[in-house]
Amino acid sequence: MSVAWEQLLPWAVALPFVGAALTPVLAARSPRWTGPWAWGVVLATVAVTVGLVAHVAEAGAFTYAIGGWSGAYGIELRFDRFAAWVLPLSLLFAVIVPFSWRYVVVSLEPARWGAFYALLLLVMGGMIGFSITGDLFNLFVFMEVTSLSSYALVAVGGRGVAAWAALKYLFLGAVASLLALLGTALLFVLTGSLNLADVAARLGPDVARGPVLIAFAALVTSFLVKAAVFPLHVWLPDAHAIAPSPVSAVLSGLVVKTGIVGLVRVVQLFHAADAVPLAGFHLALAWLGAVSIVMGAFLAIFQDDLKLMLAYSTISNVGYIVLGFGLAAPYAAVGASVHVVNHALIKTTLFLAAGALIHQTGFRTLSDLRGVARAMPQTAAVMAIGAVSIVGLPPTAGFLCKWYIALGAFEADRAPFGFALVFGALFIFVYYIRMVNALYFQAPVHARVAEATEVPWSMRAPLLLLAASCLVLGLLGGAPLAFVEPAVAGVLPVGGP
Amino acid sequence: MKGWALALVVVVAATLAIGVQGLPTHDAPEAPIHDHVGARYVERGVEETGMRNLVGAVLLNYRGFDTMVEVVVIFTALAAVLALPRAGSVADAPEALPVSPVVLFVVRLLAPFIALFAIALLFRGHVSPGGGFQAGALFGALFVALGLVLGRRGAARLVPERARPWLQAAAPLTFAAVAALGWALTGSFLGFPQAPELHAVREAMALALEVAIAVGGGVILGSLFQTMEA
Repeated sequence: MSVAWEQLLPWAVALPFVGAALTPVLAARSPRWTGPWAWGVVLATVAVTVGLVAHVAEAGAFTYAIGGWSGAYGIELRFDRFAAWVLPLSLLFAVIVPFSWRYVVVSLEPARWGAFYALLLLVMGGMIGFSITGDLFNLFVFMEVTSLSSYALVAVGGRGVAAWAALKYLFLGAVASLLALLGTALLFVLTGSLNLADVAARLGPDVARGPVLIAFAALVTSFLVKAAVFPLHVWLPDAHAIAPSPVSAVLSGLVVKTGIVGLVRVVQLFHAADAVPLAGFHLALAWLGAVSIVMGAFLAIFQDDLKLMLAYSTISNVGYIVLGFGLAAPYAAVGASVHVVNHALIKTTLFLAAGALIHQTGFRTLSDLRGVARAMPQTAAVMAIGAVSIVGLPPTAGFLCKWYIALGAFEADRAPFGFALVFGALFIFVYYIRMVNALYFQAPVHARVAEATEVPWSMRAPLLLLAASCLVLGLLGGAPLAFVEPAVAGVLPVGGP
Repeated sequence: MKGWALALVVVVAATLAIGVQGLPTHDAPEAPIHDHVGARYVERGVEETGMRNLVGAVLLNYRGFDTMVEVVVIFTALAAVLALPRAGSVADAPEALPVSPVVLFVVRLLAPFIALFAIALLFRGHVSPGGGFQAGALFGALFVALGLVLGRRGAARLVPERARPWLQAAAPLTFAAVAALGWALTGSFLGFPQAPELHAVREAMALALEVAIAVGGGVILGSLFQTMEA
């Protein structure tokens, strides 16, 4: 191919940022064009990421020296097979943005439209930058763009509970960011460098162990908070449940994954440096993951609020991912990497479908939404497909990666974790069965639910597309697994578990 | 609960205090921060970047990409505030608040000097401490002080309404434009041309960034203050 795709790497970040900066300018002239404009920016970003992923599949991981300063002297971007998740990420934005048009028109006054779409583009650009940078401080700055826009997007919904949830999210997120900054500063003092690969190379045996361990712990804790791993999840349920549904999809499906990507980057760094006992760390991760799976699922069972239930379900799904990496077995790490993407897809499907139900009926609890499937059969079907996928039943997107993580547990000779996984899946099965039961098999209690109409096509088309993707990714699930497989060796402890 | 929190704080603080014992001290000449990347900046920064202020060289050139994302962070803060539900608009605000004559006099007296100092910081930034961010902070302070005296509606007139969204987005947009120009001239995103005959272009690129950071930062700080509820 004649196009040098690797030359476009910085534009994967710059496009959404420029688009975001221009959105309020456009909003000052005609607010109603801000939605289509944001969509256009997302589609352009999708085009760039398609090229990048094609290039990494063909030629392997590559770096881009910003300003021509290679090595540690400037800032390097690095695109590897983990970073390739920016393609599904931007594809999901390409679905979420049109879905949100309707919400924006109904719920926000025109003066706020520009800022809302600008924030959506900023959170996307922040996550893309976070995933593709090869520089420790740059990682922190992109994390700040992502986090700041996420806090604000939670608060967009209203004044009372939304503001409080956003504030709680802000405080915990700010502490986590400070920890990441502390870890970055320590590594800089120890090595004199911020380039991830260079830091790894310079963390030789003569570097003081104490500060290295503190830096490692600070970075890992920061990213575990961002990923909402139990018991560091306390900010998540309210924030994700109270946010407008398109925002919930972004936060729950995508933003928590920046914590996972950060974790992968830290582990890659320390794996290459061989500076901390990673085997013990992986065991701790596996435990945290297992506890997250069970506790997230357990807490979800008691929720009557549809979106709160989905929010707790995110905690258990992040648990699957963390457990997968913690098992330190190739199968499990491959499964975990792909679950990052599959959960993003499934959770987006579920939150948008839930948003559609809430949008049309005005109710948000399972007991109020009883029997809504009769009036809104298509949305309910999307919800059911999402539920089946997240439980991990074949032939949906959730099945293969959970299967791989379980395989990894047995491969690593840690069968108990495999059982924790199955146990968690049972819990998850229970509450999604409850949800499907309420939507389909109970009689409506509210006239508004019985007489609800299907959502308009601007919302329905994204939902149907997402549900179809859940099925397609289930049937073609092997391709992403094979794609990420060559990269996982870099996140496993040296010499195996 | 409070006891647990206190215990946690003590344990974390103690771990940190013990953990950082092995850090190299700042005054040690052989410390890694002095003899690796930093050493190269000091030795060759002026020659490689053409900027006489090494801080500026790192900020705009070596690590310009960080600065680009930082101005996006500032823009994000503004977008965040503008996306929140608001109590009232500028149009509802009273024409001017009752202001004490002392405040009025002091602000009127100081305003031109603050503006002058901000401009001096901006244009001296390439040789002495200062630069776009510092000037932007001063411009922001100027807007806040004038806002106190003029009231919300009066202060809103300081920046023309049609230009306001452009000025708020000035820093990210200028960064993208300079990055694209660098891309076209040198082949790398945000690259500054090194050739002697393009020296003027390089200077202009750096100056454009500094001015955009100052103007954008100042207008955003002023807008944040404007959006605050009385």
